[in-house]
Amino acid sequence: MTNITTITFNNSTNLRIDMRWVSSAINNACSAEKAKKITIPVGNKTTEIGELFDITGDFSNSDIVLNNASEKFDYIGYQLPISKRLTVEGDCGHYAGAELAGGKLIINGNTSDFSACAMHSGVLEVKGNSGNYTGSAYAGHKKGMSGGTVLVHGSAEDFTGDLMRRGIIMVVGNIGSYCGSRMIAGTITTLGTVGNHAGSGMRRGTLLFSELPSEMNSTFINCGRHNLGYLTLLLHELRTYDSEFKSLHSMRRRVQRYMGDPSVGGLGEILIWIG
Amino acid sequence: MIINGVLIDDTFSEAFSMRATRIVITAINYKWARHAAETMTGFATSVIGCRVEAGIERAMGNHETPDGRPGISVLLFSTDRKTLQKQLETRVGQCVLTCPTTAVFAGMDSEDTIALGKNLRYFGDGYQSSKLIGDKRFWRVPVMDGEFVCEESTGITSAIGGGNLLVFARNISQALLACEAAIDSMSMLPNIILPFPGGGVRSGSKVGSKYPELSASTNHYYCPTLKGQPGNVLDKNIEAVMEIVIDGLSTKDVRLAMKRGIDAICDLGKSQGIEKITGGNYGGKLGQHHFHLREIVND
Repeated sequence: MTNITTITFNNSTNLRIDMRWVSSAINNACSAEKAKKITIPVGNKTTEIGELFDITGDFSNSDIVLNNASEKFDYIGYQLPISKRLTVEGDCGHYAGAELAGGKLIINGNTSDFSACAMHSGVLEVKGNSGNYTGSAYAGHKKGMSGGTVLVHGSAEDFTGDLMRRGIIMVVGNIGSYCGSRMIAGTITTLGTVGNHAGSGMRRGTLLFSELPSEMNSTFINCGRHNLGYLTLLLHELRTYDSEFKSLHSMRRRVQRYMGDPSVGGLGEILIWIG
Repeated sequence: MIINGVLIDDTFSEAFSMRATRIVITAINYKWARHAAETMTGFATSVIGCRVEAGIERAMGNHETPDGRPGISVLLFSTDRKTLQKQLETRVGQCVLTCPTTAVFAGMDSEDTIALGKNLRYFGDGYQSSKLIGDKRFWRVPVMDGEFVCEESTGITSAIGGGNLLVFARNISQALLACEAAIDSMSMLPNIILPFPGGGVRSGSKVGSKYPELSASTNHYYCPTLKGQPGNVLDKNIEAVMEIVIDGLSTKDVRLAMKRGIDAICDLGKSQGIEKITGGNYGGKLGQHHFHLREIVND
């Protein structure tokens, strides 16, 4: 039987908590006792982890569960390495899955802004909704998510995939405005609706939607209807995840193609399923 | 050893170490996939003159191919990695990229890879785009019927080329009948190809020539019109010798193919004019792999 490390928040504070200490504990394969001695700033004080969380098991275990999480926890799953799986029971704050490095982060709740920010590889699965700037870059940085897969079972808000460089973002619900803005490459797809200004300033990459965004950028070029063979390859990949994307038939490949954003010399594409 | 009147010579076939790869060509239907596969495996009978030996391994159903379309699996063999790489790119570029509706994918997973679409993508003149799906990169090259999709690289593996059988018959028709039976039986197997036209060879060669510039020349020991000449080994009742050359991904694959071939030939038997099966070798000095016929029969 696989050993599981559990971290349970004891509700001892209402202040925001920087969860990057988990990454540090994993990298040092800390025991529970050693992890409890790690200190982090909380508010204007320095606090030992043991005062905030009950911990059982070593951080060398591949499975970690974070119980009683809240939207005040930032950087959950930060740099989570390959072969590690972190399951979060509850909501997350900002920067969930930031710089994710091959691990699997499962959030049984909602996330705030900048989820999967600068993510490298691995999987981030959000069972609820995701905030603004999912899969984007840190503010002021130029490269967003550079690999891996983000699966949001609910909806994602604005600027999803801003400056995204590689990887796949799958959203079962709706996506807000400015989806794929300034996108460098990669794929964003949704089964729901999309807000205004999708693909604004995108250079390459694919936005694959069920229906036209509520308002298309006038700069995008309508390239007509096509059967694109690579969509079967993409759909095979999308269907490997346990989600509503499984309902898409893998031979569905006819799309309306828009190319852009020409205002920045972009060769990206917005594809709209036909039929 | 005699089976159904056919003598199995106490000798061995001598084969060589090679490098091989497999690709999968898909298209809107089998017709176009086969056009591409047959074209790219043309002029690929022997590394001596063609630099590569290639052939169609088998047809693949929609459920077996990466893009869910009918496909053809092609194997290519060459003496070294660099030549294999060059031949693969040239042939895919000229024969598959050009063929309507086709796409091409790696047919072999290996840590050792060579470029497939990695350089062909430049045909897209900047309009090409890549997709990293899972851990595989694919290139999409705009062409006049839509997009040519190709995987970036394909795996290569060590392999064996030049396994062979020689069939001695009382006339040409009987030799061909035996070869066709053997080829039909062998062609059902995976991991092998029979690179010569239709699988048969009438111009078996020996190493060297009286002309110094030639590395190979006619195997005069087996030419029926030279019976009686020094070195010729044919009995007076033999009028035709045919060779079947087998390239395979492993010793096991080549052995199995040779056994199937021998069994099919021996099924016809001496009553159909088949006198003997032997193997081509160079005294065991050139090839690293020796396939002893009598051992194979007992496999």
